[in-house]
Amino acid sequence: MSSRRNNLIILGLVVVLLGVAAYFIFVREPVTESTQLGLDLQGGVSAQLEGSQTGGGQVTRQEMEQAADLIRQRIDRLGVAEPDVRVQGDNQVVVQIPGVEDPDEVIDIIGDTAQLGFYQVLASDAQPGVPQPEVDQTKQDIAESLKRDDAYEQGKTKVLFEESPSPSGRETYVAGYVVRKNPDLTGDALQQNGANVDFVNGKREVTLQLTKEGGQQIAELTQNMLDNSLISGQPPLLAIALDEDVQSAPQVNEPLGEQISISNDSLPQGLPEDEARQLETVLNTGALPVNMEVISQTTVGPTLGTSSLNSGLLAALIGFGLVLILLTIIYRALGIVADLALLIYAFLLWGLIVAIPITMTLPGIAGIVLSVGVAADANVVIFERIKEEIRRGKTPRTAVQAGYDKGFRAILDGNVTTLITAFILYALSSGSVRGFAVLLTVGVVLSMFTAVVVTRALLGLLSGRGIHLSPGMMGVSKASIAAGGQRRGK
Amino acid sequence: MASIIAIASGRLNLGIDFQGGAQFTATGVERQLSTEEVRGVLPGDIAASSTVQTVGGDGYEVRTPVIGQEETTRVRDSLSEALGAEVSVTSVSPTFGEQLREQALQAVAAALLIIVAFISVRFEFAFALAAMVALVHDILVTVGFYAIVGREVGLVTVVAVLTVLGYSLYDTIIIFDRIRENTPAVGYNRRRFDETINTSIRQVIRRSIYTSLFTLIPVTALLIFGESILSDFAFALLVGIAAGTYSSIFIASPVLSLYKAWRAGKLRPARSA
Repeated sequence: MSSRRNNLIILGLVVVLLGVAAYFIFVREPVTESTQLGLDLQGGVSAQLEGSQTGGGQVTRQEMEQAADLIRQRIDRLGVAEPDVRVQGDNQVVVQIPGVEDPDEVIDIIGDTAQLGFYQVLASDAQPGVPQPEVDQTKQDIAESLKRDDAYEQGKTKVLFEESPSPSGRETYVAGYVVRKNPDLTGDALQQNGANVDFVNGKREVTLQLTKEGGQQIAELTQNMLDNSLISGQPPLLAIALDEDVQSAPQVNEPLGEQISISNDSLPQGLPEDEARQLETVLNTGALPVNMEVISQTTVGPTLGTSSLNSGLLAALIGFGLVLILLTIIYRALGIVADLALLIYAFLLWGLIVAIPITMTLPGIAGIVLSVGVAADANVVIFERIKEEIRRGKTPRTAVQAGYDKGFRAILDGNVTTLITAFILYALSSGSVRGFAVLLTVGVVLSMFTAVVVTRALLGLLSGRGIHLSPGMMGVSKASIAAGGQRRGK
Repeated sequence: MASIIAIASGRLNLGIDFQGGAQFTATGVERQLSTEEVRGVLPGDIAASSTVQTVGGDGYEVRTPVIGQEETTRVRDSLSEALGAEVSVTSVSPTFGEQLREQALQAVAAALLIIVAFISVRFEFAFALAAMVALVHDILVTVGFYAIVGREVGLVTVVAVLTVLGYSLYDTIIIFDRIRENTPAVGYNRRRFDETINTSIRQVIRRSIYTSLFTLIPVTALLIFGESILSDFAFALLVGIAAGTYSSIFIASPVLSLYKAWRAGKLRPARSA
């Protein structure tokens, strides 16, 4: 009698859980929004960056956290939806942004170290109107000619380049500058939030507001440059560079003060809008404390995402359906009970995915499909055992009892090994592989519950209700039952 | 054997995950071009070292060696212009590829060790050893099959191999569990132990086959209906699970029997019949 009450309690619990799952899936939000999709299923950009120190020293965890913060701020300023920026391991940052229109802009902005530097130009050379494919070659040519210049000293100076689109937009203006190895003035001179996009005479430019101290330093530097140019006769140029890219190199006509502007005189509208906005953003969020290199990058378009999702779901459903059918064919009545348990399993799993929430990815779908196999397998182990006991002549009722008792140990051992591999996968890998590991783990644990506890309760209740399971209903032919066994209960 | 030779002869085709490179996937193309025409769209120096494949009815996959950010953008733009399609990009730097490769090997090694420890605790060392031999066999067969077929080995393959490990072990454990149950408490006797193994295998072989069937069905569905990653994954699982079922019966059990016999022979060096 008490076992029957236990069975009822278990099944009651299942009904409650199903209700909770249904609430999470259907009621709390519309179905289409309740399940979180990964980038590979809805499209978006994901990038992994590795931080390093300029000198090759160790990067600290704190610096990486700081860098991740800055990257998050930069992306926020772009106005893109919900970026996910995380530090991973000792020196990596993972950035994931769903549904981005222009991935290049994002990649550019997150990877820029954005060290602002002001350099006195010692020598320069330029080549206007270079077609796109020849830009790299032109840079090499300029670098070589500049290295022959007297101003160039190996180890003390370096060559920086400026690239800007020509008015027609099809060609590029390429310039090379010989400058001192270290900036004459760094981004420290910039006031907080000191960069702004402005329009001067209808041209877009970015103005930089320097600190008082920075203003003094730049005044000193430019005064010096003017004095030198009087002697040498060459125009004094001040290169303003972000990292190793010169943004602009205006000629200095008088000593500069606390306000400096970056502009592009060759274009009628001044700086292109994208560029100005990017400059403003990276300058105001400040320089990253470490150098960042993009080590892997994935861009998934929305149509690819949708088709992956559809094909994944189709495959999962077909596989699931076939398993249900096969179970029924092989195990008849037992199979139907197992099917019921599998359906409960699938629904509860979905509920868990929504409730936790777990982000669904392609590898995640693979994990689910595999866990369906594991769930079905637990029943196979038990049912084979039951059939065996029946062939030995036991009554269906005691056979069911023995099947569960003896089968459970093997299932437990087997599932623990699956869990071990899932944990190792989780610990040693990153990103999408983790999704697989998480879903496999959740699936395996849940399947132990539905495939063992729930089916047992169902079967117990069935026999308790006086519904007699004949051996034939379990897929055992009468001929195979050992002769002389007692068929009916003792 | 064939697997070992194939792997040794360097036929293993590492994917961009493990050696760096870029992969462009075009979906929903408006203009159907031959793979040669697609190659013609790529910038000259990149085209020569790239592979172009068609994917499904209306997609292409282009794989290039490691290229810079600007070139990546250029390839993507020229592809999307020529095909009138949405182009998705994955790129991996060579250093990161190396990291991934190392991680993957570590993961497999760690999995093997922990599993041996686990079986030693739950059963005994002889069982763990036998299971280990079977597992190494499974890995070799799966990876070797990849080398022979020339399919690309990527992160997904390693995940699949690890899954196969857990899976094949499940199979082995079910047999071992039966052997343990059937083994009489009296001392070891070679003939009796071998008989026990045989009986146990006979008892569970149906289960092994059914189980494989129940897992292979959804996996096959993934292989047929899933795209790209999913079908790659399913392919590795298919080979691995088939190998795993076979190895539990035909490798793990004989090894267990042989090792037990060898141990017994060492413990009491008697005349063997």
